[in-house]
Amino acid sequence: MDTAVLHPVRFTRQRFRQWWQSRLPLSDIMTLTQRNVYILPTRPGFMLGATMLLLLIGSINYQLNLGYLLTFLLAGSAVVGMHVCHATLRGLTMSLLSPEAQFAGTSATLTVQLTNTRKTTRYGIGMAILEATHEDRWVWTDVPAQAMATVHVAFKPERRGLHRVPPLTAETRFPLGTFRVWTVWRPAAQVLVYPAPEAFPPPLPPGEPRAGGAAAMRVNSTGEFDGVRAYRRGDPLKLVVWKKAAKADELVSRDTQQAQRYELWLDYAQAGAGVEAKLSRLAAWVVQADKIGLDFGLRLPGQEIKPASGEAHKRRCLEALALC
Amino acid sequence: MLSAAPSPFARLDALPREARDTLFLLLVIGWVVLPQVANLPVWCSVLAAGVLLWRGWLAVNSRPLPGKWWLAALLVIAVAGTFMTHRTVLGRDAGVTMLVVLLALKTLELRARRDAFVIFFLGFFTMLTNFFFSQSLLTAAAMLVALLGLLTALVNAHMPVGRPPLAQAARTAGTMALLGAPIMAVLFVLFPRLAPLWGIPSDAMSGRSGLSATMQVGNLASLALDETIAMRVKFQGPTPQQSDLYFRGPVLSSFDGREWRALQPRLGSFASTVLAGNARLEVAGTPVRYEVTMEPSNRPWLMVMDAAVNPPVTPGFASVMTSELQWVASRPITDLVRYSAESYPVFRHGPQVSAVALPPQYTELPPGFNPRTLALAAQMRQDPALSGAGNAALVQAAINRLRTGGYRYTLDPGVYGADTADEFWFDRKEGFCEHIASAFAVLMRAMDIPARVVTGYQGGERNSVDGFWVLRQSDAHAWTEVWLAGRGWVRVDPTSAVAPGRTGSFQRLQPPRGALATAFGNVTPELAINFRAAWDALNNSWNQWVLNYTQSKQLDMLKNLGFESPSWEDLSYVLIALVVATALVGAAWTLWDRRQHDPWLRLLARTRRRLHEAGLDIPPTAPPRQIATLVTARFGTSAQAVADWLLALEMQRYARTPQAGLAALQRQFKQLAWPR
Repeated sequence: MDTAVLHPVRFTRQRFRQWWQSRLPLSDIMTLTQRNVYILPTRPGFMLGATMLLLLIGSINYQLNLGYLLTFLLAGSAVVGMHVCHATLRGLTMSLLSPEAQFAGTSATLTVQLTNTRKTTRYGIGMAILEATHEDRWVWTDVPAQAMATVHVAFKPERRGLHRVPPLTAETRFPLGTFRVWTVWRPAAQVLVYPAPEAFPPPLPPGEPRAGGAAAMRVNSTGEFDGVRAYRRGDPLKLVVWKKAAKADELVSRDTQQAQRYELWLDYAQAGAGVEAKLSRLAAWVVQADKIGLDFGLRLPGQEIKPASGEAHKRRCLEALALC
Repeated sequence: MLSAAPSPFARLDALPREARDTLFLLLVIGWVVLPQVANLPVWCSVLAAGVLLWRGWLAVNSRPLPGKWWLAALLVIAVAGTFMTHRTVLGRDAGVTMLVVLLALKTLELRARRDAFVIFFLGFFTMLTNFFFSQSLLTAAAMLVALLGLLTALVNAHMPVGRPPLAQAARTAGTMALLGAPIMAVLFVLFPRLAPLWGIPSDAMSGRSGLSATMQVGNLASLALDETIAMRVKFQGPTPQQSDLYFRGPVLSSFDGREWRALQPRLGSFASTVLAGNARLEVAGTPVRYEVTMEPSNRPWLMVMDAAVNPPVTPGFASVMTSELQWVASRPITDLVRYSAESYPVFRHGPQVSAVALPPQYTELPPGFNPRTLALAAQMRQDPALSGAGNAALVQAAINRLRTGGYRYTLDPGVYGADTADEFWFDRKEGFCEHIASAFAVLMRAMDIPARVVTGYQGGERNSVDGFWVLRQSDAHAWTEVWLAGRGWVRVDPTSAVAPGRTGSFQRLQPPRGALATAFGNVTPELAINFRAAWDALNNSWNQWVLNYTQSKQLDMLKNLGFESPSWEDLSYVLIALVVATALVGAAWTLWDRRQHDPWLRLLARTRRRLHEAGLDIPPTAPPRQIATLVTARFGTSAQAVADWLLALEMQRYARTPQAGLAALQRQFKQLAWPR
């Protein structure tokens, strides 16, 4: 509310923008037409206007008919340039490929395909996340005649959860830079954002004895889960943790006894303090456990995912964390 | 180890894009500035060239740009230089110098796109300043190239991806200019021509050659080599006798021994002199009507053929006749002007005045000059064969002396000393029209015959392509007029006595030509003449249609469009009407464009609507095959024909055969038994 008091104009503008954007239809495919392409002169455009005015005054004052010709040819070219600029976006079809789920705070990409059915190339089309503020947010591309170009737009979600893809914008200043032609596009697709993994998480929690297992009372004194051990000659191949072997140079075997007796449970209750901090830590643990190739389960308030391993399991766990 | 030097083009191709773009822009700037070099102070051209070359070198070698102090120092030098040269930093010439320097210096901080824009805009002003000095067809062509170059550079700057070929940007720029040309034409024709906002600055027309208000023996010779066009004449009806084509300019009646000048206006009002002049002119016969397109001369003289009674019809300013029959406009002719006039080749000027009433200046000679000519005059006066026959006989005797005395017409008579008439009559015996006319007038005056020198243009050349008579500066001519009792002022062209061809059949002395022109002329003289005629005709139409497009022509055009008494407001109405019409066409096109105009998709949409009426809703993304399935599922075998038709529609789009034409499908659409 402070901002509203301090900057009523900015506040009104923001509200107007929100209202404007909420009117835009949600769609993963958008064909640009007269209705959704906007055009305004840029600052150089106004400068060109001033230049033409001065040229005209010079021509009048010195009675230069050739000066009139120059001025009017420039004006004619600028008018045609305006049309060319608008036509660069008009008729272009933008389609968003369904975005991958990703972690909050990491930079990921949205893939947009631009389809040009025209018989000429469309030059200098920039795409960006509408609300991105940094200078080099624009990604520039040309779309060849009757072909398709793919643009990757950097996207950095801040919050976990299921979000709509942020509004995108496309613009062009081709050919003269005197006009800015742009559009605002609200894709319908949603993107799942996992909690940001904690940067330096504590080690994985100790394994818990299996319910009803023989060593139920034994607690690993070091606090480390010790489900794997170095490969010993004679270990059956199916015990080798190949994933881990691929990352490290040594072979690692599953400790059958330990694996049977202990289970790794990543528990919301044991993951520190604060909801988001807990979820961050759990996310970090899920990633870590998956990297080592362990079986793990996830316990969240009102939800429990049975221990398992593999990519699908990891996704399922992260999804649960994202939507928790 | 030696390695083969790469060819310059390969090297250019290998340059990074930024360097290549910079080099191109520098080239365009060089092209824009080049025509100015003749009008710029030398230091300015050298500085600009140096800066451009330096910037190019920096670009090629990927060196960092110079710091702010460099720029500031160069700027100070440039401003100081401008002030030293022009004694001001304002005004046209100083402004042009500053503009060129700024344009060159700005390239030294050409980093961002914004700087490119600044160069772009400065470039346009520099282009405009070119037109102060020349608006010829060649200048126009050069500046068109420059405009395309600047547009290309700008388009290229807005192709951010990769390293697009410059040819592509050039093509886009060319297309824009081409499509913009109709807009240019409409604006050019309809934009109201306004009067100068704060008056044409006095320096607008410097540096043009032409007739001057004085004649020092020897200065027309410099014009004789000047092939620039002074005026063009279009005769209505038959062209008068070639030897009558005397276009009158300044009349020079006061001689100080070296220089002929116009008479200073004497006491008494100018208007009464003018009236008196008119009253003394008698004309006879039918007048010759013609239209003159005169190049700017920065002088108020309106060249008309001898002798025009009525003022030339001029646009926007008045004209008066002096007592010496010369027509003078109310302001200097600073741009191309077209006027129509009528002249009477048969005329008598001032026959009623007695010699006594003539101003004494017409017989005055400076004391101490030309003693031998004075002696010759006295000798002729005393000649018994002539003494009784009157002044006309004396004039004829002088002409005879010119014709038979071994006098020669030449463009290169050498430098005359103090007694020009003596040298001509006795020593050199050769000269150009001004030597002959001056010497002749001196002889006349020495014999107490009132005489004056008239300068102007004589002859000309008919362009076989468009029929215009072209008078060049090399057609500048000087002749004399003597006053004879009962006949008034009589034109005597002593040059025609020396070289009859000069005024009769227009054989002018050919100025020395360049080796190439000589070779060209020798091999195919016909072709050379035709080429020149075509080029002149082209220039003339350029002048007539473009440079001479004035307010009166604009209003004439409106009259043709049906306006009864057109004003510039009407021009605005026409302009606004055109803009509105264009906007409406644009709106109509937009409406058409918004509609789906792929016939196949339209047919599919019609199908969807038809089925919707029958109670079957089809999703908008459904292809024909899916629609066919939905139709048969809903309506059963009764809709088999529709399903077949839909499959044919699919086939037409995706597996086209010659038989499956879209037109046939459209016909079938109407005949199908659609379910209800």
